[in-house]
Amino acid sequence: MKRRDFLKVGAAGAALATSGCGKIRAKLGDWLGDGGVPDAFSVAAGAETDDRVHLLNRAAFGPWPGDLERVAKLGTEGWIEEQLNPAGINDIACTMRTRIFESLHMKPGDMYEFKKKVVEEELTRYTVLQAVYSKRQLYEVMVEFWSDHFNIHIGKADCAWLLAPDQRDTIRAHAFGKFRDLVRTSALSPAMLVYLDGRENRKRKPDEMPNENYARELLELHTMGVHGGYTQRDVMEVARCLTGWTCRKENQLRKARVEFHAGSHDDGEKTVLGRTIPAGLKEQDLERVLDIVCAHPSTALYIAEKLCRRFIEDTPPPSAVAKVAKAFTDSGGDIRATLRATLSTGEFRAAKGRKFKRPFRFVVSALRAAGAETEARPALLKYLQSMGQAPFQHPTPDGYPDEQGPWLGTLMWRWNFALALTSNAIGGTTVDTAGLAKAMGAPAGSEPEWFLRHALGREGLPMEKETVREFAASASDPWHRRAQALGLVLASPAFQKC
Amino acid sequence: MMMTRRNLLRMVFDAEAALPARDTLVCVFLRGGADGLNLVVPFEEKAYYKLRPSLGVARPDQPSGTKAMNLDGRFGLNPALSALKDLWDEKALAIVHAVGSDDQTRSHFEAQDLMERATALETGVSGGWLARHFQTTGTEGRSPLMAVGMGPRLPETLRGAPVALALESFDEFHLARNSASPEALAKALERLYGAAETDLANAGGQSLRVLGTLDRLRQETYTPGGGAAYPDSEFGRSLISVARLIKAGVGLEAACVDLNGWDTHFGQAVLIDSLQRDLAEGLAAFRRDLGETFKRVTVAVMSEFGRRAYENTAFGTDHGRAGVMFVAGGAVRGGRVITEWPGMEPGQLEEPGDLRVTIDYRDVLAEILEKRQGQLQISRVFPGVPLRHRGIFA
Repeated sequence: MKRRDFLKVGAAGAALATSGCGKIRAKLGDWLGDGGVPDAFSVAAGAETDDRVHLLNRAAFGPWPGDLERVAKLGTEGWIEEQLNPAGINDIACTMRTRIFESLHMKPGDMYEFKKKVVEEELTRYTVLQAVYSKRQLYEVMVEFWSDHFNIHIGKADCAWLLAPDQRDTIRAHAFGKFRDLVRTSALSPAMLVYLDGRENRKRKPDEMPNENYARELLELHTMGVHGGYTQRDVMEVARCLTGWTCRKENQLRKARVEFHAGSHDDGEKTVLGRTIPAGLKEQDLERVLDIVCAHPSTALYIAEKLCRRFIEDTPPPSAVAKVAKAFTDSGGDIRATLRATLSTGEFRAAKGRKFKRPFRFVVSALRAAGAETEARPALLKYLQSMGQAPFQHPTPDGYPDEQGPWLGTLMWRWNFALALTSNAIGGTTVDTAGLAKAMGAPAGSEPEWFLRHALGREGLPMEKETVREFAASASDPWHRRAQALGLVLASPAFQKC
Repeated sequence: MMMTRRNLLRMVFDAEAALPARDTLVCVFLRGGADGLNLVVPFEEKAYYKLRPSLGVARPDQPSGTKAMNLDGRFGLNPALSALKDLWDEKALAIVHAVGSDDQTRSHFEAQDLMERATALETGVSGGWLARHFQTTGTEGRSPLMAVGMGPRLPETLRGAPVALALESFDEFHLARNSASPEALAKALERLYGAAETDLANAGGQSLRVLGTLDRLRQETYTPGGGAAYPDSEFGRSLISVARLIKAGVGLEAACVDLNGWDTHFGQAVLIDSLQRDLAEGLAAFRRDLGETFKRVTVAVMSEFGRRAYENTAFGTDHGRAGVMFVAGGAVRGGRVITEWPGMEPGQLEEPGDLRVTIDYRDVLAEILEKRQGQLQISRVFPGVPLRHRGIFA
């Protein structure tokens, strides 16, 4: 039996596990006390969006049934602290759902054993399932943030095989760590070396020109921002510093291994942002470059601005950006300290409903609000594809846009998704609207009002209540009435915002 | 009749309706920075062959092998673009060379954004240039399908347009087909979105109106005209959809189509040949499919920048400055390369080795909007830019 066949058997077993044992796994989660929809949970009731719902809409992918109680019990700050220490959160129920994806545990060089379709699908399903089910929600939110920031397109060259290790060893390993470590790991990640042509960046002869692709994006997108104050000259100099770093190809021995080849390195003196990097430092050039750019004030400002755009609003208030940038600088680029500062600004608290959910957040938050059981099969992923935000499908290194403009054209898909979800018309995904209504304590016949409260985090407006009630009433039986009521609530304009 | 503002506007627009209808403008964006110097080869430039020893496309007068197709004794078409030759011979295709924007960052995103906004961020003018075109020409009485971005998301070019729609494929554009009552759903959504804040209300209302129109179109099967064979690609499929919308007369005035993947830092020849074929065969099929209707269509092909004059060591090219634009259409004075050629000798190039921009791409867009799209206030579309027509149209 060859290794490849062995893996195939393993994959078949895993497939069995997904289909046959889904229910058992979910039950086991119940037994562990942290899976599925709780038997009883409370919903918000005020005229304005509940503060806890606002927090969960931004610092999580929306509330899972029962999350409101958790925030109430710990208090806002307590909940944020708990989230900032993910290792202390029992996440077994989620791990049980996602451990089946074998390709996620391989070394980069061993990834090529898998078919492209398998590695793509496993990573994508894993990413969606983690976002839906992990109790470490803020961590997952930051995984999404950094995946945009250090965007890699699954379709370029052999990135499909190298992306899972990048997600694991770069993004997930450092999502809550030090910013410089994150950038350094990304710089030497096989997937990034392939995606931005770093592995082709070499100087073996005097007239050879370095490939400046990665150097440019490092400055423009990963650290300082396009108006951060660097010049074309700096891009070229950084590219020179990084010559010689490469990653072995699929057809080579020790494939995907990252190496520094002194013979391909430009070992002359360089000047980056006015600072001299003396000749002869070889692979230490990289460390010098990272020291210079990560500590540059433009980097603190740029990261702060992006965080504020993600967590607060599309046009981030300069007052909040300044506070967050200061936290970044004061902590030496500590991501947790920076996040703590972001979430404790008054601007964050005041920004209720000002963000338009991007498709990924919309889909995940709908699944969470509905307490859905999903295996994130292709039937579900297709909706993300149609809305233009399937994970790892953004072709260019700037990552998916954060602002609402480009996403406003996706409404029809959202409507269709919402109705399909609550009518159990998406393969591998089910919603128990009766169980949900019972657990929130909705009296029979008043589901429309209760679903509005639950999903929007506030009392429905008279017009909303009336419209949802009317649409529900157009169905013939209680099951369809509940499906239509929850579906329309999730399709409503208020649920598109957070 | 009571003279309300609405009626007045309608009368104004009715009067305008007596004028010849506007062209449909199809904007093709080659994303990633297409290598203008290899798409349309300046084969009389000795420096071109010196700077591109392995990537340069051979002169048309080479006895054999891969070589450029002579256009005007000075420029040659990349053989992978040969499907465009018919359009050229028909004099319906003009080429603008050494054209570009004033962006200096050589960043894809800055350059694409800048080109699509067609103004610096600092000016405070918002939205894309096509969006401003529509803002300044009024929308009363115009179709909800007047502006379409083919793809899952709206391109920056149309950002801020009073009416614009991202349309990936209209065969998939339908409302909850499986739900018990799509009509009841449409009614409920109309009510909820009607009461939402402006952006969402507009987007929701548009989606609902378009659903109605496309429901009708979907009933029909489509066979391209003139035996046109589109390439089996995303680009080809987008162009078919645009052609269908044009021929169905649903009021389409502008469509944006992307062709991605032109960022050829590495192994350029392999990547760029299939892209060029996709582009040329797609446009050739589009023209054939439209037949007589092509008279009322203008196609503009652009990219955020060209690529460096010299090749890099990975058989690729890095981000440069000037590139090439194609303008095709029934009214185009074609069969001409329009250029103020800056030259490629040392001293003629811009640091660190790029073809200089001698024609602003907005000159081209402005001429299209003014001559073919009924734009009377061009300075509001491209504020603060000295514009010059380049004789693309009579």
